[in-house]
Amino acid sequence: MFVHVDPSNGIAIYDQIVRQVKFAVASDALKPGNLVPSVRELARDLTVNPNTVARAYRELQAANVLQALRGTGLEITAVAPKKCQADRAALIRSRLRSVLAEARQSGLPADEIRSLADEELGRLETQRDQS
Amino acid sequence: MTEAFSLRNVTKQYKSQLALDDVTCSCESGVVFALLGENGAGKTTAIKILLGLLDPSAGEASVLGLDSRKHSLEIRRRVGYVPDQPALYDWMTVDEVGWFVGGFYPPGYQRHYNELVEHFELPPGRRIKELSKGMRAKVSLSVAMAHRPELLILDEPTSGLDPMVRREFLESMVDVAAQGRTVILASHQIAEVERVADYVAILRQGKLVLLEQLDALKDRVCELTVTLRNGVPDLPNVPGTVLHRELKGRQWRLLVRNMDESQFDGFRIAENIRSVEVRRPSLEEIFVGYMKGEPVPEAPSEVPAL
Repeated sequence: MFVHVDPSNGIAIYDQIVRQVKFAVASDALKPGNLVPSVRELARDLTVNPNTVARAYRELQAANVLQALRGTGLEITAVAPKKCQADRAALIRSRLRSVLAEARQSGLPADEIRSLADEELGRLETQRDQS
Repeated sequence: MTEAFSLRNVTKQYKSQLALDDVTCSCESGVVFALLGENGAGKTTAIKILLGLLDPSAGEASVLGLDSRKHSLEIRRRVGYVPDQPALYDWMTVDEVGWFVGGFYPPGYQRHYNELVEHFELPPGRRIKELSKGMRAKVSLSVAMAHRPELLILDEPTSGLDPMVRREFLESMVDVAAQGRTVILASHQIAEVERVADYVAILRQGKLVLLEQLDALKDRVCELTVTLRNGVPDLPNVPGTVLHRELKGRQWRLLVRNMDESQFDGFRIAENIRSVEVRRPSLEEIFVGYMKGEPVPEAPSEVPAL
C-alpha cells in the first residue's frame, strides 16, 4: 500500500491516512489478514509525526477496520472491505455534494447540472469500453 | 506526563531591544514542539535561555524539571542541541569530533556517534573544513544525538540545506519522536513543521501570540472569501474571531478563528453578501495571518495534553 499525504491541503494528516487505508481496502489493495506497516515505519516513510500515524491507526481500530494481532502488529479485519466500501460511497457523496453546491452557486440550473453529469459519466463509459 | 520544558513570565531585555516579552509556555514530554516566528522574533533567545546559555532578565525557565539558571551543565548533558550555526573545530576530522565531544559524555557516546556517521554516510577521516554545508549539518546532528538525549532541540537545522539532507533530518526527528522523546524545532520551513509538529507556538516581536495543538489549530481556523453584492465594502459581523482581513475590489478575504457554525448560515445570506467560500488554510497561511493581523490580545499559555 502506498500512502501519500499533503500536509497543507486542509484535511488533517491523520484523516488523510485513515481515508487512504480505507480506500486501499475498498479497492482490494489491502485484503483481510494483511498487515499494515508499523507506526514508526509509516511515520518515517511519510516523514510525519508518529503520534499522527498512531492516531490514524486508533481511529481505524475503533472503526473495526484494523485489529491488533498479538505481538506482530495490526491487520485488516474480515469485516473491513464491506465497511470501507460503504465509507467510500459516503465520502464520494460528500464530495459530489460540494461540487453540486458550487454548481448551484454559480447559477447553473438543475437540469443543466444533470446533463453535465450524464455527459461525463457517458465519457467514462466509452473510455472503459475502448480499453 | 512529565514536563519537557517550561518558560514562566520570561522576559529578555538586550540593551535597547526587548527580545522576549513576558513569555509563558510549557509542553509535556514525548511531543514535537515547533517554534515559529520571523527572524529576530526571539526563537533563538528562548532556546538559549532554556539551555542556560543566556540568563533571562525576568522570569523562570526549566528543562526536564531542572532550573535553567542553576543546572545548565546537567541540562546540556541530557539535551541534544543543534544550533543554527554549528560551531565545530574545522581542523578536526569527523572521527575526531566524536572522540573529542565524547569526552564530555558517559561511555558509549563515541560508538553511537560512529553509527550515526555511518548512517549519514559521512567520510570519517575528512576534516570539517573540507565538508559541504549539508555534511557539516549532519555532523552537528550526530553530535547532538549520540548520547540519545531525552530532548532534542533544533534551531533552524535545515535552512540552506538541499531537499535530500532536509529529508534525512526530518526522518531522524520522526525517529526520535517515535521513541517517545521530545523535539523542539525552531524553523522557517512551515511545510515541514506541518508534517511533524504536535504543537505549534508563534513568537511575534518577542511575544507569544499562539500556542496550540496543530490539529486543533487547523480545525479552528478557516478562510472565508466573501463576495459582496454592491460596491459598498461594508461587511456584516462575522461569527468568529477575525485574525486578518483583506479587501480586494468587492471581495473580502478573512482568516477566522472559532467560527460559530450556528450563526454562519445567517451570515451567508446577509443582505449585501453575494457568496461566501469557505476553505481550510494551510499552516503557512495561518502563520501569515497571525503575523500580519492585529496583535492577538491574549495567547493561551497552557495546552491540553494530546
